[in-house]
Amino acid sequence: MPKIKVPKKAPSLDMTPMVDLAFLLVTFFMLTTKFRPEEPVLVDTPSSVSEIKLPDRDIMMITVDADGRIFYDVDGKQTRATILQKMAEHYKIAFTDKEVNKFSILTSIGMPMENLKNYLDADDNSRKAMNKQTKGIPADSLHNELSDWINFGRHANSKYRIAIKGDGQANYPVVKAVIKTLQDNKVNKFNLITNLEAETNAGTK
Amino acid sequence: MAEVQQKDGGGDKKHKKVRAKKSSTHIDMTPMVDLAFLLLTFFIMTTTFSKPKTMEINMPVKPKYSTEQQKVKESQALTILLTDKDKIVWYKGLMGGEKTPETQVADFSLTSAASIHKVILESNRSIFDKVQMVKDSLGRGLLKEDDAKKHIGEIKGDKDGLVVLIKPSEKAKYKNVVDILDEMNVCAVGRFAIVDISDPEVELLKTVQ
Repeated sequence: MPKIKVPKKAPSLDMTPMVDLAFLLVTFFMLTTKFRPEEPVLVDTPSSVSEIKLPDRDIMMITVDADGRIFYDVDGKQTRATILQKMAEHYKIAFTDKEVNKFSILTSIGMPMENLKNYLDADDNSRKAMNKQTKGIPADSLHNELSDWINFGRHANSKYRIAIKGDGQANYPVVKAVIKTLQDNKVNKFNLITNLEAETNAGTK
Repeated sequence: MAEVQQKDGGGDKKHKKVRAKKSSTHIDMTPMVDLAFLLLTFFIMTTTFSKPKTMEINMPVKPKYSTEQQKVKESQALTILLTDKDKIVWYKGLMGGEKTPETQVADFSLTSAASIHKVILESNRSIFDKVQMVKDSLGRGLLKEDDAKKHIGEIKGDKDGLVVLIKPSEKAKYKNVVDILDEMNVCAVGRFAIVDISDPEVELLKTVQ
């Protein structure tokens, strides 16, 4: 029986299309990726079937973590600086330019005004430690700093949409205090940030 | 590995011209490709496409005088009390009438016998069906999206429809409230409100547990 000769051929393969595709994907991901700045708290939002997307800009976010601490965040560097200056005037605390700068590039703030100066002066590591210890922004009826933050925020940029990002395990009274503060400031329309519910779950509904 | 294929200018061989010696233009592209894939994997892994979703809620504007407050008809009202351990206590009608309404316990699951989903859906069946019909005709292309939205808005705003009063107790978790609001969405309940829990209802919760 004659042997079937396998023709000897170089096992080289034209990989150009694959490499082209790989680079295309790399470019795509590089351009679309936006790195999220580190949040001081981890929040596990509850899920819902709602499919409304949160807008990218002009968001005033009030975060409530699982321990019921309140954090405040707005976007826009300029606006952040304006808000801090207004707050500084109101609470008669002087901030240096460096501190204002630092504030404008940070994300969520969960400090009472009296600790804010120390927080902004601290380095990244001690800031992390402070975030663990902080009690959040006070929002009770006697001493409601959150109300001032919201108020000055809305003065600085009237387009802000207010979103509450609450941890599923947060106790409702804290969220209720936030909602009450919003209502006292005549904000009756706001968003609750949720995850999209798993498909299997939504399918049965 | 990856190589750029090069055509030899074979046709030129006839002319015996003196040419510069062709050095191979094959470049080893392996490291570059390796790097490209590394980056690709990195970006794929770190990208999250799921943007957070939101739920819009409108709280009623605080009335200046308590007399401006809307009264809810007893026949329309469904009150949902949220307590600890993901438990729900609900009753139909209103408190403070001649007789205390009968309370029942429910949970958040979709399938159990005491599912709050079923309770709301049953109470809101007529509106839910109408909304479903509009959605069906939207799906079949019989309606425009704007019209469908308007229709659904009208159906949900029915003055004689179900009114759900959500009353989270002090022990309720935020998740419970979002779940119930979600249920309002799913069951097409247009008229609902988050209301502060009243003292008789706190007492009531104690007796149920």
